[in-house]
Amino acid sequence: MFNRLLLSTVLGGVLVAAFVAAGGGVSQAQTSQAKKWTVPRTPDGQPDLQGFWNNTTYTPLQRPTGVNKEFYTAEEAVEMINKAAAAEAEQTVPGTVEDVHYDFTQFGLDRSQAPLAQNLRTSLIVDPADGKLPPLTDEGRRRQTARAEARKRAGGPTDAVQNQSLSVRCILMDRNGPPMLAGAYNNNYQIVQAPGYVMILVEMLHGPRIIPIDGRAQLPPAIRQLEGSSRGRWEGDTLVVETTNFTDATGFQGSSENMRLTERFTRVDADTILYRFTVDDPSTWTRPWSAEVPWRKAVGPLFEHACHEGNYGLYNTLAGARAQDKREAEASASKPSK
Amino acid sequence: MRHCLTRALLASAGVAAVLSLAAVPAGGQARSYRAPRTTDGKPNLNGIWQALTEAHWDIEAHSAAPGAVLELGASNAIPGGLGIVEGQIPYTPQALAQKKENFANRLKLDPEIRCYLPGVPRAVYMPYPFQVIQTPTHIMVVHTFARAVRTIYMSDHKEAPADSWMGWSNGRWDGETLVVDSTGFLDSTWFDRAGNFHSDALHVVERFTATSPDHLAYEATIEDPKVFTRPWKISLPLYRRTERNAQLLEFNCIPFAEDLIYGHLRKEPAR
Amino acid sequence: MRTTFAAAIAGAAILFAAAPTRAHHAFSAEFDISKPLKLQGTLRKWEMINPHSWFHVDVKMPDGTVVPWLIEGGSPNQLIRLGVTKNTLAVGTEFIIEGYQARDGTNKAVGRNFQFADGRTLFLGGSAPGAAGADKP
Repeated sequence: MFNRLLLSTVLGGVLVAAFVAAGGGVSQAQTSQAKKWTVPRTPDGQPDLQGFWNNTTYTPLQRPTGVNKEFYTAEEAVEMINKAAAAEAEQTVPGTVEDVHYDFTQFGLDRSQAPLAQNLRTSLIVDPADGKLPPLTDEGRRRQTARAEARKRAGGPTDAVQNQSLSVRCILMDRNGPPMLAGAYNNNYQIVQAPGYVMILVEMLHGPRIIPIDGRAQLPPAIRQLEGSSRGRWEGDTLVVETTNFTDATGFQGSSENMRLTERFTRVDADTILYRFTVDDPSTWTRPWSAEVPWRKAVGPLFEHACHEGNYGLYNTLAGARAQDKREAEASASKPSK
Repeated sequence: MRHCLTRALLASAGVAAVLSLAAVPAGGQARSYRAPRTTDGKPNLNGIWQALTEAHWDIEAHSAAPGAVLELGASNAIPGGLGIVEGQIPYTPQALAQKKENFANRLKLDPEIRCYLPGVPRAVYMPYPFQVIQTPTHIMVVHTFARAVRTIYMSDHKEAPADSWMGWSNGRWDGETLVVDSTGFLDSTWFDRAGNFHSDALHVVERFTATSPDHLAYEATIEDPKVFTRPWKISLPLYRRTERNAQLLEFNCIPFAEDLIYGHLRKEPAR
Repeated sequence: MRTTFAAAIAGAAILFAAAPTRAHHAFSAEFDISKPLKLQGTLRKWEMINPHSWFHVDVKMPDGTVVPWLIEGGSPNQLIRLGVTKNTLAVGTEFIIEGYQARDGTNKAVGRNFQFADGRTLFLGGSAPGAAGADKP
């Protein structure tokens, strides 16, 4: 039997060495102190964000209960990562639900095999200062309840394909957003810049984000899109992208279609883009909130992710549920009637 | 003095008229139009482009015909088209039989109906805009339908690591022409709604040439020894979408096809 | 089962973000936890597709018949970055696969572990160019 624990220890060791050698991590607090690095320019004068990037992170969106500070020490962060890597690599116990899965490590998909930007933060949320989502408004609470009730009315997850998540249906994943947040694996992006446009190709769903930076107006309010509509501009060396026109189905962390998202991309060194976003949705939260996560330079290419086309698993899941229903119906039909 | 000015004006107008005539392609052949350059000195193909043909229905010359859906009547009927193929598609006899079967069963088999990626070259002449985002190392082509993306590698050419729906494209410049050589296709896409198809041996070489500020001449040579007796060509003009603020809108069609694909697996079947 | 699973994951999530669990949930709905299996067979084809790749494996039964099985594996994208291609695994390669059978009763399974006949784990320990971690820039 292959010893996954041994593998994770070896990989964890590599991480420790790299993390400590680099002397810590990139954070908002440290950015201003970082040695002055000049971002190269594209031929038409834009700060150059081009290339392949990965936003894998072990840092949770919200600060964990019991943690009361904004930053770990380098040693604490490394310990946290090693624990997480070991847990992911640990052999699952046969007969448990976690065991009913292919092994991420075999396919290079576990987080310890992804490029990792150093991050000492205890949460991705940087504002509010407690690292947690702000309270919901009354409208936000009502919507949350209404959505939960609608889900209940729709039945079980395998009753209909529409009861499965947008992610399982290959329609929208956390890596696409926006905002773009890492999932379990393939957290890769390709940024390409041409005059008037920044394009981000998201590996998952092979999803294109075309962001005009030519100052054009936003789409009319009648047009709603799952990924909203984005408009970008440069503020110094930072790309600022404003996105509105979301649909009601998007629902990022419970957001409404009125969400206004502002993303900021700053290349802080050759290997790192600092990605920061602010969510402003007064229909849902009592105040805007912001989060930050560094992206690490990665190796390409992005191979095609034709998810919907290859989604046999979803088909099999639904077919399996119907086969189960049939077995149960036949079993109860064969019982003597009361 | 005024007389000389008028003659000068007339002369320059004449020259201007000749120039603009020269820029319009005659019979699909590119005149020697020199496109504006990108900063790395290459023809600038950036922009939003769209085909204006009936090829998405049937790439061969065809007459008007009924559609496959009764309730859609004339709005889904097939308009006649001159075709974009030079001559007829040279199928082998077995492949021609397969094409006919595809056509007869197109409601069940056409991958477009299921919101599957359209492949190459179908994506080029689907009736929706596509955007070219051009850099020295990568030319990205983003299509409206199913948000299909093609990456054209302009350097560091590799073989396709595995087969895909949109293929693996290696590009180079041949004077004013972008030449794109694509292989590594799955056999899953069609060329149109009429059941014209290919195998995983498909090899497509495309040529994009600017013929005016707002036109591209597009040609593709299609080769597939498992399906066709010889290579064959298609050609059509591509038009720039010149509306101010022209842009691609999101066409994530998966939700529109799910009941077709999974509806029979509902706990209570869809009608 | 969902409740049990959620509890198990919550325990692991104290100080760090657990890997997203949605995908796991779909798997235990697709494959039957009460039908573990171990198969030995030869590779006919590896469909390097997403969201999950599929291994077409011919399994020789005790009576000599050959039964085709379809085994679900991971997304190939990271392996491709590590140099794996459609030519990496030869047709006829012998595999031992541990996994769970599909709930719909067909000859499909998820492969929790793929091994070569000699015991080496697929894609680890040098069985593919640039083994784990090699893509770190």
